[in-house]
Amino acid sequence: MPSIQIDNHQVEFKPGQTVLEVARGLGVNIPTLCHLPGKPARTSCMVCLVKVVGQEGLMPSCGTVCEDRMRVFTNTPEVLEARGNALELLLSDHLGDCDAPCTVACPAGLDIPQMLRYIGQGKLREAIEVIKTDIPLPAVLGRICSAPCEKACRRAAADEAVSIMQLKGYAAEADLTGGHRPYTPKPAADTGRSVAVVGAGPAGLSAAWHLRRAGHACTIFERRDQPGGMLRYALGEDRLPRRILHAEADCVRDMEVEFRFGVEVGKAVSLEELLGSFDAVFVGVGRLSEGSRPFGLDVRDGKVSVARDSLLTSRARVFAGGDVVRARRMTVRSVADGKAAAASIGLMLAGDNTDAPRRQWSCHMGRLGEQEMETFLNHANRVARIPGAAQPGELRDSLARSEARRCLRCDCRKKSSCKLRLHSAEYEASPRRFHGDRRTYTRIDGAGVVYEPTKCIKCGVCVRVAAEHKEPLGLTFVGRGFDVRVQVPFGEPLSKGLKTAARQCAAACPTGALAMRDEAS
Amino acid sequence: MAEPDLTHVDEVVERLGRSEDALIPLLQAIQARYRYLPEQALRRLCEIADITPAAVESVSTFYTQFRLRPAGRHTVRVCHGTACHVKGAPLVTDALCKHLGIEGDEDTDSEGVFTVERVACLGCCSLAPVMQIDDVTFGHLTTESITRSLDDFLELQKRRAKQRRRRPGTPREAEIRITLDSCCVARGTRDVKQAIDKALADLGIDAKVKPVSCVNMCHETPLVEIVTPDDGSHLYAQVRPDDVRAILGRHLHPGGVLAKARRTASTALEHLLTDDAWEPVTRYGLDMSTQRASSFWDPQVLLVTERAGRSDPLDLREYLETGGFEALRKCREDMSAEQVLGEIERSGLRGRGGAGFPTAEKWREVAEADSDVKYVVCNGDEGDPGAFMDRMILESYPYSVIEGIAAAAQTIGAGEAILYIRQEYPLAIPRVREAISHCEQEGLLGDLKMRVMEGAGAFVCGEETALLESIMGRRGNPRLRPPYPSRSGLWGRPTLVNNVETFALVPWILRNGADEFAKLGTEHSKGTKVFALAGKVNRNALIEVPMGITLRRVVHEVGGGIGEGKRFKAVQVGGPSGGCVPESLADTPVDYEALVHVGAMMGSGGLVVLDEDDCMVEIARYFLEFTQDQSCGKCTFCRVGTRLMLRMLERLCGGEGADGDLRELERLGHSIRDNSLCGLGKTAPNPVLSTLEHFRDEYEAHIRGRCPAKQCTALITYGINDNCIGCTRCAQDCPADAIVARPHEKHEIDTEECIRCGACRDVCPADAVEVE
Repeated sequence: MPSIQIDNHQVEFKPGQTVLEVARGLGVNIPTLCHLPGKPARTSCMVCLVKVVGQEGLMPSCGTVCEDRMRVFTNTPEVLEARGNALELLLSDHLGDCDAPCTVACPAGLDIPQMLRYIGQGKLREAIEVIKTDIPLPAVLGRICSAPCEKACRRAAADEAVSIMQLKGYAAEADLTGGHRPYTPKPAADTGRSVAVVGAGPAGLSAAWHLRRAGHACTIFERRDQPGGMLRYALGEDRLPRRILHAEADCVRDMEVEFRFGVEVGKAVSLEELLGSFDAVFVGVGRLSEGSRPFGLDVRDGKVSVARDSLLTSRARVFAGGDVVRARRMTVRSVADGKAAAASIGLMLAGDNTDAPRRQWSCHMGRLGEQEMETFLNHANRVARIPGAAQPGELRDSLARSEARRCLRCDCRKKSSCKLRLHSAEYEASPRRFHGDRRTYTRIDGAGVVYEPTKCIKCGVCVRVAAEHKEPLGLTFVGRGFDVRVQVPFGEPLSKGLKTAARQCAAACPTGALAMRDEAS
Repeated sequence: MAEPDLTHVDEVVERLGRSEDALIPLLQAIQARYRYLPEQALRRLCEIADITPAAVESVSTFYTQFRLRPAGRHTVRVCHGTACHVKGAPLVTDALCKHLGIEGDEDTDSEGVFTVERVACLGCCSLAPVMQIDDVTFGHLTTESITRSLDDFLELQKRRAKQRRRRPGTPREAEIRITLDSCCVARGTRDVKQAIDKALADLGIDAKVKPVSCVNMCHETPLVEIVTPDDGSHLYAQVRPDDVRAILGRHLHPGGVLAKARRTASTALEHLLTDDAWEPVTRYGLDMSTQRASSFWDPQVLLVTERAGRSDPLDLREYLETGGFEALRKCREDMSAEQVLGEIERSGLRGRGGAGFPTAEKWREVAEADSDVKYVVCNGDEGDPGAFMDRMILESYPYSVIEGIAAAAQTIGAGEAILYIRQEYPLAIPRVREAISHCEQEGLLGDLKMRVMEGAGAFVCGEETALLESIMGRRGNPRLRPPYPSRSGLWGRPTLVNNVETFALVPWILRNGADEFAKLGTEHSKGTKVFALAGKVNRNALIEVPMGITLRRVVHEVGGGIGEGKRFKAVQVGGPSGGCVPESLADTPVDYEALVHVGAMMGSGGLVVLDEDDCMVEIARYFLEFTQDQSCGKCTFCRVGTRLMLRMLERLCGGEGADGDLRELERLGHSIRDNSLCGLGKTAPNPVLSTLEHFRDEYEAHIRGRCPAKQCTALITYGINDNCIGCTRCAQDCPADAIVARPHEKHEIDTEECIRCGACRDVCPADAVEVE
């Protein structure tokens, strides 16, 4: 059998097989966008480049047919840089948001548009599931959050931001008071590892919640006799009714977190002792008093020093978050720190030395033009924001649904499946390296799909899939060069172009350009 | 809009076939009928042919020839090739649109008479700036002459309608040769020919008027050569219709008493024509032995153009009498395929399309390929702005090309040959078709089927895989090589693709022997190369020089040096795929490797000479604008990368460059060069990278806000100095009314209003307009 060498591994191939196919069979990771497995290569996106010894420049592996004794390298610096370049070129002409600005602004990274869509549809159970993926104290935050999300909300440029904070509170309180057991996620299988959390404030509660979700055992040590930290002791009943705080702390307890009240770490038990009986420690003890140096951790400017991404302190296996590491008090930030610390503790326990990224890779479309805003508004509820008179906790269902539908839905429908995003994150491609022409965002609806041409990378996957499904009209390339675009022939609507293959086309599209209208993220 | 009559669609499908392969000719036929592609007609096409709407839509929007909205009665194609660009094509276009009242996205005047299109290159660089109205070419346009050209064209239309057919004549002794190629016609040869016909009739002179192949001296046309049995040959350059009578009277004698009487009558009121009386004619005389002409001819070696100025392009008898089809006969009768391959191999012939792949190697691959069906394709999709060699060869020497193709087909065992010729060459296409039909009538092609496929306006189709896609009726998207066409080409069959010039050289080589050919040139580049020499050189011409000649000799000797006492700055070699060779490297020989070594490439053979007034950043921007416009849009590096490079260059020319831009430009350029899918993308950065290498100081000056050549309008200002005599002519010519001019006082330019077109400087009689 003839064979080729991939990254110095000798591997046999069947005649006609491409380098990509053989490499994937070997478990070598090569990114692709325009590739349709088993179909002739289009060699359009050029992110699957490899070095073939003897060929000038690089070759797209999807279209390079193996020849006996061929030598291929898939991960030289030259190859990796070229793939990154291809991605950056595509990104320079890729207009759209991965995550919506509200999500980006939220320290906890809550998938706000998805939450709003569920609320808008009256699916409160689904909404709370989305919320509690990131935020264990949503009813609390629904009252007292400083709501950076609303400052970033795109809708604010048209009239006023969507009332995100109140809607989150609405969904969370509905869940607490709905007469059933409030929602808690099912923890992952027990990992056999245990973590001590010092402090039952928002950071500690959040860390414990996320650690339990990941399957780690967790014990909270709190020097006082009640959970909540500064939420309990710094805020009055009028701002944060205690019943809400209790209910959400109970949800944390329902996740099988052990609470040990009245135990002050440093006095009743030392950090060394905790490190002796737990695999890791999270310190979330709130703002430090002047000159204090908790557990001998390094302190700078009155805050415990931590690595920016991992939240690791100066001591191994000791992490810290919340007000103890921050200059400014912000509850949602503390909740976010608890989530981030849980993630990096998880990585550490798994033996992974990399830092958990605080923020997912995302590209952004920036300010909308007037016409673009109109496009978005045309697909949203155009009514004004609910009047300020509606107090927290008093949103009625129909009003909440109406308000939630004010969301412009500027997040990408494919934000969790987009291959362009996936590979761009992997190759750390910068969406801002090149300053290309900014196109005007448009959107075309039909056949149950949404087509956003400014996200299209002209790979032709949908054109081929439609043709394979024998669509009478299908999709086609129109024009050429930089202005080439994909559309239904003769300017016909999508509903005529994609009579049977809409779902398949949307699924095959490697970006968010073509997506099912109600695709769940 | 009225419903178009769709029976025509049915007719063309009947005539051209219903398969997808026929799509481009089908669309061309539909457009020929309706002057655009009406949607109803396209829908009808999908109904009755085996062609999908997706195919129709994607192909009809890929090629620039196709229009999807109604067009005017006449199409004005304004050339934006390199030579035209440096000689002011953008201003001419603006003036044309202004005159016709065409604004914004429109391209047709309100009365539907003229549709204005910008085209990449009409291949008449020696006449720059040029436009073509239908099949008539107008050269040396100025903003003033453009309106006159439109009027002339409409006048010509009326005349044509009345024109009678010439009666067949009696045997003639004397011969009057006149070139009728596209560029010569543009310079007025058609008018001269009419004047000759009329004068011959009036004077009763019996002489044969023979249209001959290009004489290469574009700068001297219209050329008329009078050959008489007793008086030898006399060549007249730059002849005007008014001169014809005098020239004919000088050499030819009227026959018959009646004719004599007629001549007397008709010239009674004209001055007496004698050699002495008609002084001006000598001014036009072009003596081949003079210094000037010999510097033009001496360095040249004519192989492809061996019949320059002597033969009637379509006279098959004459071609046969002068050794024509001798090479093909040898292939068929005297030599085995292996011997032919050996001969081509020994000649050292390499592809003249640009990359210089050894021709014999390519032939051998196809010859050895195991397939009962093979094809030969002649790539006549020459599209470089600044190159028109292939057009000239096809127009002037169609039989050489046909013979070369037939010899190749014989050698490799192909049964069908296709000449892909770009549709912007309206004269070449019918001539080649006619030449093929003459050959078929004489049985010269044997069983070989040969046809012409008209391109539809896409530069990228010069790339061989894109060209094959186009022949198969698809968008001209290149595909990854390997597999090369020699293994998998048209319909998956082994296909030999060579350029026009390559094929045209084959008969010469087989007739004269490989050794004769290999005597010329350098170690790895043999024979001759035909170039279109254009730009700021005194003689814009089509030249054929031996490989190995230096660029400096081409510019100074063949080209006669730089015009207007300007300084020679650089030669742009190879068009949008090539690079700029600076004066300091002008001793670089014409040689595939040597040119690549200095950052250029042979390309298809455009040589555009640049002088001190040309801004190298602007030139680089111009080429990038061209290539990014011609990108097929398939692969990321070319589609997006070339556009980004163009934007960077635009920012530099617009005075918005920043430190670090040059490094980023270079990085991006290298990335596009190394990773693009096809030759267009791989070579697109060359004009930028070569100027960055050789003229980096000019780029840096732009970042500092200065254009050394004073060309980039955002970086210069016009002013009037004390030389001003107060004549107001600048103010009269200023298209922007930016000059405040009081008679007899020094004028002033309002720099806010000024559009920096330079009209004032051109017209100023006192050199009072300055650029800073």
